[in-house]
Amino acid sequence: MKEIKHIDFRDQIARNKRNSFFLSIVVFAVLIALGYTIGQFVRADFFGFMIIWIIFSIGYIWVSYYFSANISLVAVGAKKADPKQYRQIYNIVEGLSIASGLPMPKIYIMQNPQINAFASGRDAKNAVVCLTTGAIEKLNKDDLGGVLAHELTHIKNYDIRFVTLVAVMVGLISIISEIFLRSLWYGNRNNDRKNGNAILLVIGIALAIIAPIVVKLVQLAISRRREFMADAGSVEITRYPKGLIEALKKIKGDKPMKVNQAVAPLFFSDPTKSRIISLFQTHPPLDERIRILESM
Amino acid sequence: MFPILWVILGAVALLLLLAWSYFNRFAVLTNRIENSSAQIDVQLKKRADLVPNLVETVKGYMKHEKSVVQSVTDARKVLVGAKGFAEKVKAGDVLGNALGRIFAIAENYPNLKANENFLELQRELSSIEDKIAYARQFYNDSILEYDNLRSTFPGNMFASIFNKPVKPYLQIPESSREPVKVKFD
Repeated sequence: MKEIKHIDFRDQIARNKRNSFFLSIVVFAVLIALGYTIGQFVRADFFGFMIIWIIFSIGYIWVSYYFSANISLVAVGAKKADPKQYRQIYNIVEGLSIASGLPMPKIYIMQNPQINAFASGRDAKNAVVCLTTGAIEKLNKDDLGGVLAHELTHIKNYDIRFVTLVAVMVGLISIISEIFLRSLWYGNRNNDRKNGNAILLVIGIALAIIAPIVVKLVQLAISRRREFMADAGSVEITRYPKGLIEALKKIKGDKPMKVNQAVAPLFFSDPTKSRIISLFQTHPPLDERIRILESM
Repeated sequence: MFPILWVILGAVALLLLLAWSYFNRFAVLTNRIENSSAQIDVQLKKRADLVPNLVETVKGYMKHEKSVVQSVTDARKVLVGAKGFAEKVKAGDVLGNALGRIFAIAENYPNLKANENFLELQRELSSIEDKIAYARQFYNDSILEYDNLRSTFPGNMFASIFNKPVKPYLQIPESSREPVKVKFD
């Protein structure tokens, strides 16, 4: 039983690394396709534009990979936790790191009254965990242990690499296509190009419409199994399911929080607390998570 | 003639590959066990370093409990002088129990409980206590994984080829299974 679980975790790690790689390739391809389409509307030097665009795309993927944690921390406005003021948090995280055999992650705090947390980074050595001020105020030591162990499991399984990459890389695609769509709407009224461009226009519009939908679907597809596995991993670290259960119950009674849509899948519990089931949900419902934990 | 040669060559290559992967897995797990025992050691040392401070703080208040205070000092001495992992862990348990008694008795001394220095030490020691427990848990988890590899086929064959011995689990000592009547929060 134990052995099977460990193999599962190894599978998950391999899967996440593979997915991160493929995601980078796909994002690169989509960027190039987008650039090509936009390039058709650039009157001047098409090749010059494409070269700059390719350099930009590679740079974009490089930056997303190496600075994904920083970008997500900036996106939610988190600050590094002061070791003196947050002594207890540091102590809990250190203990859990020891129990899971991980290096100690950096700890960040974001100002937000809702109970929530996330982990980010490209691997365990460059990982961060971030807690909301609400979580620190409303959760006791055992609850926090459950939540933080859940985040450490995301780190251990390399969920953080893939999910952060999705949030960062894909977040920008949606922004770019949105800008493109808007400029098409306003900028091309007096376009006097030949009818070959009509096809490109259609492709461009299609791409601009499809991109955000693809983005949304990718976001949705990624999180659910990860969350269940991280809950199980949390219990494996703390050997105390009650802490995590209590934390989830307290979140149930909480209000939704406002946060950048792109980073929503990173969080411990769905920040938007959407009640629309299935397709548009990044996290399994709280009740289901609690039920499974209680049966452990 | 040729096919047989290829089959033999293939089998040898497969065997070598298998031996190579098992050798590495044993090496990784052995390192992990060593690393986790070092973690326990670090925490035990941190705790031992805080004890003289605690004794200083407590001494003035607990005039009638000299023997308890003395037992903590003695336990620390044994721990600092202990050699080898098993001995250190055992001495660490004794010290842990002695500290537990001190904190239990401290409940009866309101002045002591109001002492900022004491509270700080109590918090610090209780968090070290947690970390020791976690380090032991990780140690035992690592042993379990090593043990599984050692005792299942074909790991058991490679274990004897590479001469990988049985490694002992850390036992949870009888005395610490009873709940210590101390509130840490």
